[in-house]
Formats: sequence, structure tokens, C-alpha cells
Amino acid sequence: MKTLYVEGDSLLHRLAPRTKLLGLAAAGIALFLFRSIPPLALAAVISVAIYASLGIGLRQSLARLRPIFLTIAVVALFTLLVGSVEEAATVLLRLTSLMLLAAAVTATTGIGEFIDEITLAAWPLERLGLVKAADIGLSIGLVIRFVPEILDRYHAIQDAHRARGLKPRVLTLAVPLIILTLKNADEIAAAIDARGIRAQR
Amino acid sequence: MTTRDLVLAALFAAIIVSLGLLPPITLGFIPVPITAQSLGVMLAGVVLGSKRGTFAVLLVLLLAAIGLPVLSGGRGGLAVFAAPTTGYLIGWVFAAFVTGYIAEHFVDRGQTGLVQGVNFFLAALIGGVVVLYAFGITYLALVTGLGFSKAFLGSLAFIPGDCFKALIAALAGRAVMVGYPLLPQRA
Repeated sequence: MKTLYVEGDSLLHRLAPRTKLLGLAAAGIALFLFRSIPPLALAAVISVAIYASLGIGLRQSLARLRPIFLTIAVVALFTLLVGSVEEAATVLLRLTSLMLLAAAVTATTGIGEFIDEITLAAWPLERLGLVKAADIGLSIGLVIRFVPEILDRYHAIQDAHRARGLKPRVLTLAVPLIILTLKNADEIAAAIDARGIRAQR
Repeated sequence: MTTRDLVLAALFAAIIVSLGLLPPITLGFIPVPITAQSLGVMLAGVVLGSKRGTFAVLLVLLLAAIGLPVLSGGRGGLAVFAAPTTGYLIGWVFAAFVTGYIAEHFVDRGQTGLVQGVNFFLAALIGGVVVLYAFGITYLALVTGLGFSKAFLGSLAFIPGDCFKALIAALAGRAVMVGYPLLPQRA
């Protein structure tokens, strides 16, 4: 699975991940405090400038942002139909700015950096005995490891349907896929425990 | 949480991610194409129960947040949490929890197949539709300033598809329970 991180050496790449995440949270709050068009328009211009400074390129940026921008555009259009022009513009400018800033943080922060931040953020929860921070990294690794295998299995089940002249249906695909996948759990859990990866400290 | 629970949740998160990578299904009688991913959220509840199901969904959202394109249509990154539909993503967590909670408490191995199926359907419907839309519509209404009734109107087109998914989730949940029971029983 390809991550959305982009190699680069821009100012945002060099900033600490925590600064970027806190900055994003602050920007999110600020964007919802402004209610008039001029400051929101200014925020949108600044957001576009920040995103453009990463040097991702227009085509790549469009591919990344289109699905989310489409949702925003549809909702803005709907707002225009049932509300006023001003309301629609507010929604469009506010959410587009936030989307660009969030996408900029994602493009400049690697997965490792994120996991470090999550582990640190989970530390108070660990002290309370709710979660183990190390489990989060382990689970993320497990998911990434097993997605390709599940897709292979899905195609194998699809082929099995075709070989028997059956039309693949949601139900007859999903049930064997779930059972086959989850039946591995015991072996994987035994392997993890045998290696002492989750050893109690 | 035992290692087995952790692995089950992680594997189910991988199933939800995989469902998002498959092309959307168009049903003849519903105009909106449905993605299998939100079906995965209901399935997490009916197959794994509340605790592990919620953890599986949280993992998917975490993967999306750290920049992996794990949501349907290759969406990912922090930007997906800046969309007007973010409420539905937040709602996923509670949908899986409520679906799992109801399934754990009301589905019993001693019941007949029909009763189990109906209870699974109600679990998926209450968790995966009622709870999910409560979060989705509230968020949409607040963020866009549309107001509840208009936000509800805008979401209406997707409800039939999700009810249909609840039916699929119920049938699949029962089939998995017969083939490989995992649901903790607490009736």
C-alpha cells in the first residue's frame, strides 16, 4: 500500500510532526470561528499557497484531493439550493481550506513519525491501564501485512465461484472470506506470543 | 485484551480496508452505488462483538489518519476528516459498538435460525443505520449550518442502500456464527 507521504525538503517537511498537528488543530478551530467571507477567503488563499509550496504538482494534487473536494462541492451546491449564496460560500471556503491544510500535513509527515506521536499520545491511557501503546504499532503492522493476502483470498474465492459456474454474490463471497481470514487468528496470536512481542513488563 | 482479540480486530480491520479497495456495487433498484466498506463496519459488530469490533474500526480510521489510502475510493490522510461527511466516519466507531453490543446480548446460540437472523438484522439496522446517521447528520448539520431537517433530506438517498447492507450483514453474521463462532455470548 502506497502512503500519501511525499518526499521533499519544504518548510513543512522540516517542522516537527507535533507542531504541524497542533497547528492543524488550531487552524481547524480558527476556521470555524470566522463567519464572514473576507477572512475565510484569505484563509483559503493562504491554504492554497501552503499546499502549493510542497511541490506535489497539479496532476498528483488533483488525484489526491478530488474525492474529498467533490463531497465538499456537492454539499456547498446543496447549501446553495436550500440556503443563501453566503452560506454556500462559507461552507466551500472553510472546508476547502481545512482539506488543503490537512492534506499538507499528511503529505509531509511519514508514517513512522505519526506512529511515534500516537505512541506518545497513548502514554496517559497506558498509565490508566486502558491500552498498551506498543499494541497500536503492532496492530497497524498486522493490518498492512494482511490486506494483500485478503485481496488474494477474495480473488481465489471469486475464481472458485467461476470454476463452478456460479455468479459471485456479496454474501457467498463475504462469508468464506471472513471465516478463512479469522481462522488464521489463533496461529498468528500464538506466533506473536511465542516471540514474546507483547511480553508483560 | 488478549493477543487473540488484538489479532482478530487487526484482521477484521484488514477486511474492512480490502472491502474499500473493491469496486462499488450498483444494485438495480437503488440509484446510489453502494460501497462495501460500510458493510464491513456492520460486519465487524455482528461477527466480533462490541469491543473487538470497535477496535477494528478505530484501527481503520487510525490508518487513514496517518496517511494510508485505506478508505473506499483510495481516500486517506487527515483531509478525509475535513470533509462534510466526516460525521459518518466518527459514527462508524459507535455503529460498530452498538451493533456488537446488541448482537452480543440478543443473539443466542439456542435460538432458531430465523430469530438469530432477525436479531442480527435489528442489531445492524440500529447500529449501522440509526446510530450512524445520527452522527453523520448531526455533523453535516452543524458543520455546514444546513440545519437538521435539510441535512436529513440530503442524506435520505443513502438510507435504502444501508438498510440493504444491514440485511446482508445479518445473513453473513449468522452464517459466520454457524461456521466459526466468535461472538462473545452475554445474554
